Amino acid sequence: MRVGRVDARDDELLSPESTAWQEAPVNEVVLSPTPLELQPTEYVRVSRSGRPYGLVSSMNVSALHNGNSVFFRLVWQDDSEDGAMKDINQFVDAAAVMFPIAEDAPLISMGIKGKPVNVWMWRADWARPKNIAAEGMGTTERRDDPALSSAARHTEGRWDLVVGRSLVHRSAPRGTVALAPGTVSKIAFAVWQGSEQERAGLKAFSPDWQVLELDA
Amino acid sequence: MTDRQLAFVFDLNKCLGCQTCTISCKTLWTDQPGMEYMWWNIVNTMPGRGTPRDRDEMGGGFDAEGRAQAGVLPSAKDFGEAWDFNYEEVFYGGKGQSAYLHPRSPSANGEDEAPDWGPNWDEDQGAGEYPNCYYFYLPTICMHCTEPACLAACPRQAISKREEDGIVLIDEDRCDGYRFCMEACPYKRIYFNPDRFISQKCVMCFARLEQGVAPACVRQCPGRVRHFGYLDDEENDVFKLVKAWKVAIPLHPEFGTEPNVYYVPPLAPPRFDENGDIDEENPRIPMDYLRSLFGPAVDQALATLKLEMEKTRQGEKSELMDILIAYKWRDMFIPFVEDPGELSRPVPKS
Repeated sequence: MRVGRVDARDDELLSPESTAWQEAPVNEVVLSPTPLELQPTEYVRVSRSGRPYGLVSSMNVSALHNGNSVFFRLVWQDDSEDGAMKDINQFVDAAAVMFPIAEDAPLISMGIKGKPVNVWMWRADWARPKNIAAEGMGTTERRDDPALSSAARHTEGRWDLVVGRSLVHRSAPRGTVALAPGTVSKIAFAVWQGSEQERAGLKAFSPDWQVLELDA
Repeated sequence: MTDRQLAFVFDLNKCLGCQTCTISCKTLWTDQPGMEYMWWNIVNTMPGRGTPRDRDEMGGGFDAEGRAQAGVLPSAKDFGEAWDFNYEEVFYGGKGQSAYLHPRSPSANGEDEAPDWGPNWDEDQGAGEYPNCYYFYLPTICMHCTEPACLAACPRQAISKREEDGIVLIDEDRCDGYRFCMEACPYKRIYFNPDRFISQKCVMCFARLEQGVAPACVRQCPGRVRHFGYLDDEENDVFKLVKAWKVAIPLHPEFGTEPNVYYVPPLAPPRFDENGDIDEENPRIPMDYLRSLFGPAVDQALATLKLEMEKTRQGEKSELMDILIAYKWRDMFIPFVEDPGELSRPVPKS
């Protein structure tokens, strides 16, 4: 996946409606449910056995940067907009991009002890995405990161989301991926459907790392 | 299994359903935003649907082979929402005596709609046909289970069981609000705080225990219903009632979590038969109903209670009756007998 360099302001790129995105190449990323047998507790495995989850089968991803910040535009089908929790038994739509920090960090377990990953997670009811460090399932630590931003709209049965972050790495929370123009990294994607009570490991994800090349 | 286990015995023959335990817990622990609808301690009239509504049908716990069982995530309405009241209209509306105070359902979005459910909504219902009507009160809290289904279900290891006393606690820093614990708890005693996005439940007043003070619900009970202490302390009522006399038994043992709240089951007067004569063979609370709540051990527990009551009627002494009468209030929660009013408190920060 190429991250093209464009001459546009941050606020232009942050908007999914911006003309800046019209020229950006679209990559179709195939998603599949996280394996039931890898869910971390017996309860989760038993309770979701025979109750499908992670049914969003693909996502259209575009990526751009302007030398200051990098932006990912994620578009996926979700007929029900679950933008806020109206009752305690409801869950909110969410999506995430994940980067390996250790080069050989395993994707499926969200890293492993000593081989961390970094996740930028958007949830429809959050003011801005959370910066998450993980070294394996159940180890996620969410941190506030003012350098992260997002904008989303739900139209025609689809979420259209842009998640962005400053490329400045200096004051980033520990465990934040360092993306820079002219470098190559890897990326993965996940989606949670609130209407299906998806949360934690119950989600659709891209099972393989995608190569991420940032134009110089 | 932890080193030691603190446990409760609730004597259902003495519970008045006054909810003083409920209020003592509410004022101490759940008076913050997001906790309005929470009742970590609740007393339900039985037979009844419970709090949350139909909780016994919501699944969770473990089967006979110890396998986790799927459960339902209750809604706020199932628990019973915190009602709004029309204070403004009654006190400041200029309507004189024509306006009266009444609750409004918060989910009606400002409409003046009466709620159709609440905590212990079916309080005045009970069961049975006159003259054989019956009911009793059933207080429930987190059972601080020996095999907590909530702890096993949490993918973040946010729930722990303390080695020194078996208290089950949710770490509010680790909790991410996934609510698998609420689904897995078969007693449905975990609530979700939407303001803080975490799950919360009874903490057994651990901060009081560390000062030698019994939990608020135990101390405040005016009916002397609640015995409390270490399950292995032979001097304590809990040991005597659970282990020695075996008259205190767990609720729904078939849920497989080995709860540490034990109940002295309710005795009932005999039924009247169709001729209006007293039917000594059959208690007014059907035994099948009690077995559905407490399992087969309820038969022996009730038999022991009857036998010991008979002894005292004959003028004999009964250690069991003496314990259950609870002549000395403080003896009910040895060694947690400190008076919180006499403890020195830290000076509040100005």
